[in-house]
This record gives sequence, C-alpha cells and structure tokens, in this order.
Amino acid sequence: MFPWNYGFHWSTGNVLFLGAFYTVLVVVATTVASAILRARRAVAAQQTDAIRWRSDFHDLPPRDRVCRHVLTGEFQVRECPNAFDCRQCETHARLVALHPPEAPPESGEELLGMSFPLDRFYHRGHTWARLGPDGAVTIGLDELGRRVLGVPDAVDLPAPGTRLRVNGPAWHIHKRNRDVRVLSPADGEVVEATGGIGGDGYLRVKPVGRGFDFRNLLAPCEVKPWLLREVERLQGALSAEGVPTLADGGVLLPDLSTAYPQADWDAACDAMFLQA
Amino acid sequence: MTGKRYGMSIDIDRCTGCGACMVACAVENNVPPAPEGATDRKGITWMRVFPVDNGRDGPDRKSVFVPMLCQQCGQDAPCVSVCPQQAVQVDPATGIVGQMPERCLGCRYCMAACPYHARYFNWWDPAWPAGMEKTLNPNVAPRMRGVVEKCNFCHGRWHAAKERAVGRGAREIDPADYVPACVEACPTAAIRFGDLNDPRSPVAQAAQQSGSFRLLEKLGTEPKIYYHSAREWVREIGRAPAGKEQVHG
Amino acid sequence: MDRQLIARGVRRCSTPQFLLWILPWAALFAFGLYCAGLCLVKGLNQTNMDNRFAFGLWIFVDLTIIALGAGAFFTGFLLYILKLKDLDAVINSAVVIGFVCYSGAVAALLVDVGQPLRAWFTFWYPNVHSMLTEVTFCITCYLAVLLIEYLPIVLRNRKLREVPGFLVFEFELHKLIYVLAGVGTFLSFFHQGSLGGLFGVLRGHPFAFREGLAVWPSTFFLFILSAAAVGPSFILFTTWLISKLSGKRLVRPQVLQLLGRISGLLLGVYVLAKTVDTLIWINRTSPGAGFPAQEYFAWQPFGTWILFAEIVVFGLAPALILLTPRLRLRTNWLVSAAVLACLGVALNRFVMTLQTLALPTLSFDRYLSYWPSWQETGTFLAVVAFGVLVYSFSFRYLLLFPQEREFRQEPAAQVSETAVMDPVGRS
Repeated sequence: MFPWNYGFHWSTGNVLFLGAFYTVLVVVATTVASAILRARRAVAAQQTDAIRWRSDFHDLPPRDRVCRHVLTGEFQVRECPNAFDCRQCETHARLVALHPPEAPPESGEELLGMSFPLDRFYHRGHTWARLGPDGAVTIGLDELGRRVLGVPDAVDLPAPGTRLRVNGPAWHIHKRNRDVRVLSPADGEVVEATGGIGGDGYLRVKPVGRGFDFRNLLAPCEVKPWLLREVERLQGALSAEGVPTLADGGVLLPDLSTAYPQADWDAACDAMFLQA
Repeated sequence: MTGKRYGMSIDIDRCTGCGACMVACAVENNVPPAPEGATDRKGITWMRVFPVDNGRDGPDRKSVFVPMLCQQCGQDAPCVSVCPQQAVQVDPATGIVGQMPERCLGCRYCMAACPYHARYFNWWDPAWPAGMEKTLNPNVAPRMRGVVEKCNFCHGRWHAAKERAVGRGAREIDPADYVPACVEACPTAAIRFGDLNDPRSPVAQAAQQSGSFRLLEKLGTEPKIYYHSAREWVREIGRAPAGKEQVHG
Repeated sequence: MDRQLIARGVRRCSTPQFLLWILPWAALFAFGLYCAGLCLVKGLNQTNMDNRFAFGLWIFVDLTIIALGAGAFFTGFLLYILKLKDLDAVINSAVVIGFVCYSGAVAALLVDVGQPLRAWFTFWYPNVHSMLTEVTFCITCYLAVLLIEYLPIVLRNRKLREVPGFLVFEFELHKLIYVLAGVGTFLSFFHQGSLGGLFGVLRGHPFAFREGLAVWPSTFFLFILSAAAVGPSFILFTTWLISKLSGKRLVRPQVLQLLGRISGLLLGVYVLAKTVDTLIWINRTSPGAGFPAQEYFAWQPFGTWILFAEIVVFGLAPALILLTPRLRLRTNWLVSAAVLACLGVALNRFVMTLQTLALPTLSFDRYLSYWPSWQETGTFLAVVAFGVLVYSFSFRYLLLFPQEREFRQEPAAQVSETAVMDPVGRS
C-alpha cells in the first residue's frame, strides 16, 4: 500500500493499481468534504429555507410544478425550472413583454363561491400580498387556504424584525396534529404580526433593499384559471380514497379540516400548501 | 550464483503404501492430530498416499500407491498469483513455493486455485493430547486456526542445514544435510530429493529417466515433483481425469 | 405512532402490522447471527467446506448477490451519466438494494475467511496480481460509495430533513451525486469483472480457466456484462414484488418496461458473447490444457443440460422476451423474464464456483459433492434477513419510489406520461 511496506515494488501493476485506488479515495473524500463545506456555507448564509423550498419543490409531483403560463394556456406543458420564483425567469419576462397582463376580465371578487379580491397578488401556495398606502405589505391566507385549514388550533407567527424571503416559511399553522408551513409571497421584514384574527392579514411586512418585487405572484388575470386548477387538484387529492363529494352544490365546504378523514385532509394540505 | 531448484522424484513402482512418509511429515512439521469430527477432506496431510487402480475388476485389477504433496510448481504457480496479500511466495534461492501462515487471511483462494489439492486449511485450533506437545519439533512453528498450510520441503530442515553450513564456513549447504522427512522415512527409498539444477543430483537424473512423468503437465505449471513408473497405465494418471457416470464422492 | 416518520403522501401499514412482518425476519436474523457467531468463535469447522471444497455456499451467494446488486451502479450510471431521467423512479430503491447486497456480501466474506481480523493485510500488503485483491479493494470502496449514496435517501426522511444541517447536506450532496455515480460505475466495472476473473484465472482448473485480454480472462468481461444485464432485471423484479407485497402502485409501467428493455438488450449481447466464449473454451482453451471439454459433462448430475440451461433457458429466452415489445407490455411476461434472467446469473455463478470445485482435476481424484451445514445456511439466511429488514425499514420510512405519491392523487385510469418540456424550447 505504501512504498515502505513489505512487498511493495515500483512496478507498473502496483503503480496503476494503487494509483487508481488512491484516485478513487481522493475523489470520494473530496466529494463528501465539498458537500459538507458547501452545506456549512449554506447554513451560515441562512439559505436553509431557500434550500428547503427547492427540495420540497423537487419532491412535488410533476403536475404540481407546472408553469403559470400553462394555466393561462400559453404553454401546453411546461414544468417550472425556477421553483415558482418567476423573478429570475427569462421565459416569464419574455412572455410578459409579449402579452402585457390585461386588466382583470371581471371585477367580481367571487370565484367559485369564494372571495378573491383582485386588489392583491396571489401566491401559488395560497397566500396573498397587498401593498398598503404606507409602503408596507400585508400578507394573508386566501380563502381556499382558509377553507382547507378551517380554524387553526394554533398559529406560530414570526417575531417582528424577522426577515422573510419569497417561498420561505412565513408562518406556521397547527391543525389536527399537523404543522402546515405557509410560504411567504414576498421578501421583507416583519413589522407586525396580526395573526389574521380580527384583521384580514397575518403579517405586515416592510420592504428590505430595493423594495417589493411581485413578479413571482399571480397577476389578477391569472387568478381565475389558477383557481380552477387548484380546485381540480384539491378534488384529486381528496377523492383518491373514494370520497368524491367535494362541494355542496358546487361550492367548497367552509371547513375541510373537519369534513374529511386525516389522510385525505393531509393530502389536501400537501397539495394546496405545496408541501412534499 | 544461480539459485537452486529443489525437486523430488517419486518412484511409484517402489512405493508400498506403508505411509511412513505421511507420519514422518506430520511429526516433522508439527501437524496436530486430527480432532474428532475431522474427515479425510478436512484433515491436514501435507504428504498423502493415494491408492490408485486401473479401474478394472478381477484378476485384471492392478493398483499402485501415489504419494501426493505440493508439486512445487516451477512456472507461475497457480497459488502464488492468486493470494491477495502475498502470503504465498517463491523463494528464488531454493525455488520452493512457500506459504506464510502468519500473513495468511484464510480466504482459501489458493486452495481453490491448486489443481493438485495439496493445500490444507486449519479448520480447527491446533491441539495436542496432554504430554504430546513435548514431542513438538522446536524448529517448526505450529499454525493457528484459519490459515492455509502445505508442504514446503521441510523448510525447517533447510534452515538447520543452512546454519550448519554457516558453522562450517561454507557458502553452500551440504546436500546430505538437507533431506525432507518423507525422503528420510521412506523404507524403500522410493522418494529422492535434490537440486534439479545440479545435473549430478539423483533427482535431476531421475527426471530425465524414461518412464518419468509429472502430474497434469499440460497445465504448464512445471511441477518439480517427478513421478516414475515403468508401467504405461500408471503413467496415465498424470493425465486429466476422464468423466465417469455417477461416481459417489 | 411512527406516522411522523413516514413520508408525506404515501400510505404505510399500521405499526403493529409492520412489527408482525418484521418479527419473523428479525428472528431469522438473530438465528443467522448465532450461526455466524459459531463460525467465528468455533472456527470454520462448523461448515461443510473442506480442503477440496474450499469455497461453498457463501462464495456462491456473494457472487450472485453482488451481480444482482449491480442494479445500483448501472441504474445510477444510466440516470446520472446517460441521463435516462425515467429511472429516477427506481434509483432510490436500487441504491438500497445495492447497499443491502454489498453489505451482505462483505459480511458473509468476513465470516468466510479464516482470520477476519487480518482483513486489513490485503490493503497493507496487496498483491496487485491477484483478482481477489482487486475485488477486495473495489468492493470496500464501492460499499463506502453506496453508503454515501444511501445517506441522502436516509436524510430525506420526513423527520430527519427537519434538521437544517441534514437538509442542506443532503441537498449539496445530491448535487454531486453524479460524481459518486461515476466512481461507482468505475469500481463496479472492475469488481464485477474481477469476480469473474477470480475463477477465469484458475489455470489449475481448466473448467473455469479462460483466455482473455491483457491480464483479464474473458470471464472478467462476461461478468461485467451479465451483472449489468441482470441488475435492471433484479430492480424490475423487486419493484414488482414490493408492489405486490405492499399492495401499492410504485412506479409507472413504462419504467419497468424500460428496465426490461435495457436488461434484454444487454442480456442479448451477453448471451452472444457467452456463446462465443464457450465455443472458444470447448475447442481451444480446455483441450489445450489437456482437458477435453466433453469430459466435464460426463460427471453427473452436471451434464450438458447445465450449459443449455445457462445459455438458452436462462439467457436467450429471457433476452428474447424482454426484447419483444408486445411481451414486454404484459407484466407477467416481463416479470417472468426478469426472474429467469436473475436465475440465469445465479446459475452462471453456481457453475463458476461450485461446479468448478466439484470437478476433479487429477485422474485418481473423485467427483465431489458438498452440501452446506446448518451453520452455513443460517449465516446465509442472516444475510437474506438483513436485506429484508434494511429494505423494509427503508421502504417504510424513506421515500424509495417518488412516483408512489403521485398515484395517491391520481386514479389509476388517469395515469399518463408526464411530458417535461425544455423551459425555453417553445417560448
């Protein structure tokens, strides 16, 4: 193994064999070491949440990862390569430049019996962000999300001053022994945690750095096609185990959390809150 | 100085099958008595005499005894190259294929490689009946359980002869000083031993004799054990086996 | 009670039911450990191996399960190096199977050698001309690689990935997984080959000896080819079996068909190469060493039928089935062919190890038989039980088949091919 060991010769066979062996050792050790180093660096740079979302996103079924431009019919099939962060997506930028978002086709805020006011932007994890007159953004859960979860058993809100990042966890809702993490629709710093009780939002967030960038959020004209698909997905998640009745007269039940067995409801939470 | 090439000649026509060589070998090399439960396939017999017949019945039946030991292959011994940790090596000074039990892993790959089945594994811890350990040969280390061993032409005796030569101030050992135990014990002098590189040695001459043959010569392992028989059918045993219908093993 | 550990979106049986399944295997494992302990403490006299039959059941099993475990390296190679994305559906399972096979084989080898504590000698004083050295080095390194590949699968467990360090490490390691896949392929190539070389170099046994290229006998290449051929078959078979046992759909049928096609293709090449090799061996190699080949088959019970079975029944037949698109579509045919292919490689390893040793090389020698002792069999069963246990726990707590989650939300009839488009291709 080493030149000073008994029986070692500087023969071609020995050099080739041990050379290959040491190369393998070095490559494997370097791979593991660099993974550890990168991991340490990522943890130090507080990228854990971003990585968790990337990892979650990777684990989502392909049909949950479709590009938003499939919802609007611009693509037949397309999987999002950016983990739902359209701010860095060239295709999105190009498509938006090609067809600038139209005004909302209807000003009505009722969609499928749910209230979806169009004064705000929606995130695909069923949160919304609304820019206030003071420059701060209010973040809340949309009605579909509220109906899936029902009345929370407990809510874990971030302390004021917490930095939020797009697609990072904004807050946690506990319900039926389950911890649902709600994805943040926007970057910013938490100013106030209102908790959704009494008010309509959960958090108030002030911008950090260059201000808010809502390109990752659904434009008002996208809300309807998106929502139709979401209801379809929800139905898929719930009907898998043979409880086909989702809605009462075509309207979503006000509280799904009590209406379905745990497993079905879990699947519905996974599907709606993009949890793998 | 070219190295020696120790070899052996065995005259099958003179072998009576008495087994003295086997006993002498075991005593010389500290082979422990077989424990209870050992079969002939699990015992350690560096030297083993096989009865061989011509396969006929009645008055046509003829049989001989064939002493089998490590054939000390002279050319790419199959057991040497297969050992993963260099526990089998050929001594260039003597041509003896040596087994180093203290480095042996006990993987038994060498045993699978040997076409002569001349290698033995220590299936048990070596043990001698009380009192018998006093008869052990102090020049030979007993082997532990789980390692392979085989005939090494009584290497202990070679060392002793070497020491004697050094004591005399000689560079070469005296051939009379180095004779393996089986050679010494054979009552009919069927086994002879010597340096095949020395044309005057009885072994080198026996090797050239007509009627001399080696086992499985076509394998190209160049064994250094030369057998001899004047009878044609006996010489046939050096060839590959012919298949037989259902032989019970 | 262990629900928190089970991956989201999949269903697993209740804890008591799982324990009921585990219990007999655990008992078998414990019994096997006792047997292995006997062999280690009392020595190999507990086995029915002997000086003539120096190798027995264990070597046969080692060679076979390492060939079957080749699915791990080969699937990794196809997925990460050749980018056959469909195999993503089985890669985790393949890695676990590979890990189980290799760790089982190494454990059996450690019981098999007479002085396990000297195992490091091979590394310290390697004889690089020995095939066994190559095997030892490569298998040890590859087991380490498999362990590292298994690690991300374990760290993806629902509870473990909540630990930020684990999550991030898994993420970073997965990015580099193609390096490990490459190293694994390199190592597997050499040790699958040298396992074949192990017997191909035995000049003393013309039944096994083969000529070849440079230092490698033809069996070196045949073993690589046959291992790569049955690796996917074994993945196919195990996936099907687990699907049956658990009553769950695990992968799309297309994935199994793809595995079958790959397997069939390689098996076809293997059968061809094996046939050519056999003809050269019968007509040149073996007679050249003084051993007319027909004599080997005169020793019953191993007549020429064994050659026929190996090449035609367990080689050509499954290859043809797997290469026929119509038959591949039918699960029964597909799985049967995969099983045949796996049995074929087992038979090949049996012939190379045990038949080689059973055949006499000296004219006054006998044809020998060997039957493993209960201690040997027990140790072998421990390896099997170990494999089942590791796999069962992995299947329950880790996500081995990512597609399984999709089926939950997708009624059987709607399952369709998911087309993934180039992000900018059609924009």
